[in-house]
Amino acid sequence: MNAIEIRNLTKNFGQKQALQGLNMTVPQGAIYGFIGENGSGKSTTEKIICGLIQPSGGSVKLFGRDYKDADVRAKVGVLIEAPGCFPNYSVWNNMMLQAANLGIENAEEEVRKVLRVVHMEGSASNKYKNCSLGMKQRIGIAFALLGNPTLLILDEPINGLDADGMRIMREVLTDVTKNYNCTVVISSHILGELEKIATHYGIVRGGKMIAEMTAEELNANCRTYVELKAKDMAATKAVLERKYTRVETDEEEYIRIYDGVKAEEVVDYMYNELRIAVTEIKTSKIGLEEYYIDLMKEGR
Amino acid sequence: MEATFEKLTFKKRLKTMLKVDFKRMFTMPLVYILAAVSFAMPILILVMTTMMGGEPDPTTGAEAAVMFTNVWQAISSVSGGESAGMSMDLTTMCNMNLMYFMLAVLVCVFVSDDFKSGYAKNLFTVRSKKVDYVFSKTIVCFVCGAIMIIMFFIGAMIGGAIGGLPFTMEGFTAGGIVACLFSKIFLVTVFVAIFLTFAAVAKQRTWLSILLAIGVGAFMFMMIPMMTPLNASFLHVIMTLAGGGLFAVGLGAVSNVILDKTSLV
Repeated sequence: MNAIEIRNLTKNFGQKQALQGLNMTVPQGAIYGFIGENGSGKSTTEKIICGLIQPSGGSVKLFGRDYKDADVRAKVGVLIEAPGCFPNYSVWNNMMLQAANLGIENAEEEVRKVLRVVHMEGSASNKYKNCSLGMKQRIGIAFALLGNPTLLILDEPINGLDADGMRIMREVLTDVTKNYNCTVVISSHILGELEKIATHYGIVRGGKMIAEMTAEELNANCRTYVELKAKDMAATKAVLERKYTRVETDEEEYIRIYDGVKAEEVVDYMYNELRIAVTEIKTSKIGLEEYYIDLMKEGR
Repeated sequence: MEATFEKLTFKKRLKTMLKVDFKRMFTMPLVYILAAVSFAMPILILVMTTMMGGEPDPTTGAEAAVMFTNVWQAISSVSGGESAGMSMDLTTMCNMNLMYFMLAVLVCVFVSDDFKSGYAKNLFTVRSKKVDYVFSKTIVCFVCGAIMIIMFFIGAMIGGAIGGLPFTMEGFTAGGIVACLFSKIFLVTVFVAIFLTFAAVAKQRTWLSILLAIGVGAFMFMMIPMMTPLNASFLHVIMTLAGGGLFAVGLGAVSNVILDKTSLV
């Protein structure tokens, strides 16, 4: 059973179509990286899943049930934009209030536990309004983790976190999915960080899902390539194009060969057969960021 | 491993929501401020008006009329009496009925705080049934309204004693006063239901909800003396109780639909 199944989701804000028949499938236990440009419909989709805004059309199912099912929704943890805290309450009181909202019986113990997880136990008595952006993000994560959620929806949770905060986030998300069978949907523009934890990806553009894939599929799509520089770049490129099918020049004036060749083979070919000296050569791999940028370019 | 979900009954959901709302309400400074005002207001009104009554007006030289001739006028007026019915004289204005206006501020601030702080996100993500929210808010605001009315009553007794106003009963009985008080307390539910609906419409815009609540409250205000006179009977209590119930359920359903069909962030 899938944790989230969205079919033909539409949302109009007046004349503007924020979502145009979006489909999304998040398997149970996945860390789903939800990627897209600003205004592509990520937050709108997340808010609909959480029942904070109403869709114009389509269906949303959580664990096979309607997304409005009270029993399922009671086990959803959320961090959208900023944590919903009362500014004049202390961190502790805000957390205790949320524990009461979730009906947690051993509230104090639970709150202490999640604050420890996000390294905020020392700041529990601080007023929320006096917390820094990074601290607020950590509190938001602690909020979302309260009550052992089955589904976590995190919108830009890494924003404002320092290196330690990001590490904690990685550890926490990996832990909850592995040990507590929790499913995580995480949207972020920090793709390098997302690449380290996501098991599945969904790429959205203009309110439509343009690609959904597993991390393995992404790996297969993100081919390795050889990148080189030579003295006469134009001549070198022309010569290489005769042997290899996909040869390109990137923004930094490197020649890229995508045919799955090894750097040594290229050096041998160029020197032994063409007598062209390579000044610089390396093997690289397209990362999520480049893959995503390529995908976005294709659509324009 | 398949995810399993605990069945949450309405009773269980309401219990947790009430816990949150009572905790929130009684940590709000505004509640204590309004309770203190409810207590101090009748003392000030009764003592000041008693002191001023009978003194000559410096411009005309005529003696000012005594506004309150009886402590109980601060609670309500006698049905069929001079200040009863639709008339809006000063004694009708400056009595316990003012509490309903203060209640408007309390309900609107209490609800809009949920939306302004973003706490509504936490609430409604885990609560798809808005009925818990509406029910809980109605109960908690009713309790606060009842406290304000009781505080006013105590204040009026003290203010009357300080001002030296008589506690005599003319045209009503002690039972009538008790019935009047209960009617006023039950009437709180009617006003809470109305204010809650406006607060649900306005969400984070506190000013709009207060404006709507006080605006519409002013129309309802004229009906209060008729519904809760000092010579109230058991029928008045039953009527306000039934009216409160009907408004709470009817407008509660409207608030529920508003919250269910509109954006919460």
